[in-house]
Amino acid sequence: MNIDSILFAGVGGDGIITASNVAAEAFILAGFDVKKSEIHGMSQRGGSVSASVRFGEKVYSPTDKLGSVSFVIATEKIEALRCVKYLHKDSIMIINDRIMPIINQEINEAEIDAMIKSINIQTIHIDNFLEFAKKLNNEKVINTIMLGVLANYLPIDNKYFHKAIENIIPSKIKAVNIAAFNEGLSIGK
Amino acid sequence: MNLIKKLASGNEALAIGAYKGNARFASGYPGTPSSEILDYFKQFKQVRAQWASNEKAGFEAALGASIAGVRSFVTMKHVGLNVAADPLMTSAYTGINAGFVVVTADDPGMHSSQNEQDNRFYAKFANIPMIEPGDSFEAAGFMQYAFIVSEKFDLPVMVRLTTRISHSLGLIKYDPRPLDNEKELCIEKDFKKYVMIPANAIKKHKSILEKLEQLKDFSNETPINKIEKGDLNVGVITNGISYSYAKEIIPDANFFKVGFSYPLPVRKIKEFAKDFDKVVVIEETEPFMEEILKSEGLNVEGKKYFPRDGELNLDIVEDGLKKFGALKEKKRVYFEEFELPKRPPALCPGCPHRPIFDILHSMKDVFITGDIGCYTLGSLPPLSAMHTTVCMGASISMGVGVSKVQDKERVVSIIGDSTFFHTGIQPLIDAYVNKANMTVIILDNRITAMTGGQPDASSGFNLNNDDFEPVNIASLAKTIGIKNVFEIDQYDYKNTKHILEREIYKEELSVIVAKRPCVLAPKKIKDTPFVVTDKCIGCKRCLRIACPAIDFKDNRAIIDETICTGCAICEQVCPVEEAIIKKSEE
Ligand SMILES: Cc1ncc(C[n+]2csc(CCOP(=O)(O)OP(=O)(O)O)c2C)c(N)n1
Repeated sequence: MNIDSILFAGVGGDGIITASNVAAEAFILAGFDVKKSEIHGMSQRGGSVSASVRFGEKVYSPTDKLGSVSFVIATEKIEALRCVKYLHKDSIMIINDRIMPIINQEINEAEIDAMIKSINIQTIHIDNFLEFAKKLNNEKVINTIMLGVLANYLPIDNKYFHKAIENIIPSKIKAVNIAAFNEGLSIGK
Repeated sequence: MNLIKKLASGNEALAIGAYKGNARFASGYPGTPSSEILDYFKQFKQVRAQWASNEKAGFEAALGASIAGVRSFVTMKHVGLNVAADPLMTSAYTGINAGFVVVTADDPGMHSSQNEQDNRFYAKFANIPMIEPGDSFEAAGFMQYAFIVSEKFDLPVMVRLTTRISHSLGLIKYDPRPLDNEKELCIEKDFKKYVMIPANAIKKHKSILEKLEQLKDFSNETPINKIEKGDLNVGVITNGISYSYAKEIIPDANFFKVGFSYPLPVRKIKEFAKDFDKVVVIEETEPFMEEILKSEGLNVEGKKYFPRDGELNLDIVEDGLKKFGALKEKKRVYFEEFELPKRPPALCPGCPHRPIFDILHSMKDVFITGDIGCYTLGSLPPLSAMHTTVCMGASISMGVGVSKVQDKERVVSIIGDSTFFHTGIQPLIDAYVNKANMTVIILDNRITAMTGGQPDASSGFNLNNDDFEPVNIASLAKTIGIKNVFEIDQYDYKNTKHILEREIYKEELSVIVAKRPCVLAPKKIKDTPFVVTDKCIGCKRCLRIACPAIDFKDNRAIIDETICTGCAICEQVCPVEEAIIKKSEE
């Protein structure tokens, strides 16, 4: 049975739930069965947030298995590192080059970067996606840009993402999200 | 006919199923993971959905609607059913008029709960049917079905979700039109049925036991207890989310998927099990099915291979099936986890609870009985100002006990507004009646913040957005007869500290109502942010208030302007003049 998964990781307020909804919708439009899980118990209080979009011909479990997730989008570097146990050697990770501080803890960024370098998988695309978002005059489209980057590796046509954005994103910001997705596509090429 | 196909959470699907099952009234009390069900349900036309002050009141409102002839349901998290256990047990005696469903959402893994209780035992305890969907698709269908079962047996029916079902999304397909109502029901006046004096209840108890026998037959026949054949000589008996893990790990096994889990379909399971050398029960938390099946003489195993605490997942189920001998040992390949700092939840920037805990933290001879809500985060370091948290409403009542048996420590009880209305009012009356020498702080942020911002009696609007004059907690306390009642604004740090210290050391009962609203709900509040100037001496006093907007770099505090709400608490605790100032507006 071929089930694969996109794991989204970040912190409360990152918009991960919306991004994962767009991905889930795209796979449904492409004819896949989809199950999605969300962990957001304490998200509004600054905790970690994650969501998995599992797709395949028939999907049962909404949550992932160790060593079996091919795709990760992480909006923050520490949260990206929390995902490694789900990866395998052919996995693709898209990471936003940012660290969200943790209350009353000093974080050594160089150490975090070294850990990320040490992950032995096929592709890690790490970039300051905020800069690209600023170019589009909307700092909130970071996730859509990252989704665009990842789409280069995903087994479905980009038109399904365009349609998914149409279906899910509120009309006022649809156009900028389509632009962000396309920007991501070209960054990732 | 236009079928709607959409990705829906278990909670949304359940609301859709309820509507399609012609439920037109619902009540409940918020609690993760159940809270969103009523929000979804209220969006349908011609339904009434409303929050109750607590689960018992919500249960009884829905039972009343059922007796009045309208299909109804009540929603709550697992521990909510402890609060509603009283009407649960006796509504099994009265039975129902229109279909009545009790939805309980358990939280294996305790993502957001104080315990991990398995509410399947309540169905057995009350002798009522229990239905357990395994995903969103089933949540919609089984909920609709539950109303039919309820009317067929004249009993309340329990529907049990778990966090993974409530909060996972799956595809559902449905016809948006409600079913035709099978029959019109009227309000029912029936002394023998609804007045549970002993003379009536004695007869009712007998009739419940008769119904239980009929339910056993029904469970063997219902299509939601189903067998899925496979090629392996292994039988798997499973339910709810556990099915989805097992089905993915060992798809070729023979499955008995239990959807109607009380009473269990024992006869049908016996027939299923006799064909296999090995039969295993896979269920989350308690060995509920395993124990019943063993007591019926079945040769099954379960908890010997699977944990009794925490959630199951694909890997745990795989490990269990290997130990059980149904799967070959194969090493799992995955990357080792890094040692990473945890990201503990914290009170939001601007949260009005923060100053209270900062002040209490500095008082050494106080014993603080706490309660459940966002403010429970005040128990974590560096605020560390709460000594007990047991269940909703326990703060004041436990404080009464502490104050009556010792006088070394001053007693302070802390409770939120929603929790106060839930089960805090009676304890406050007890404190007054028993002359408890203690201080009760009611954190009246005008909303049920912890569970996502549901309105309560202090909000001034209800689930349907009707306005009402908010219940005034200070007036209520005065009406009880309490003399020392004060309202404070926590953003005025100095005055808050003054009043807290004065009242806590008074040899009398005092009530302090802290009135600042929540910064998240119903409206996001964000004022001009504060900034740190060159005058900062790096003393770290401001870090002790545990504000997510404050960080420390290069011997100086820094404030993240994007999340600072401008509450000015850091500025007020800072010992240095003008080290923290409001950002200039130009
Ligand atoms: C019996 C029971 N029902 C529901 C819950 C879920 N729950 C936890 S805290 C809370 C309410 C918190 O509201 P409030 O007391 O106003 O505090 P706030 O979060 O707003 O600070 C609820 C509903 C629970 N833990 N126990």
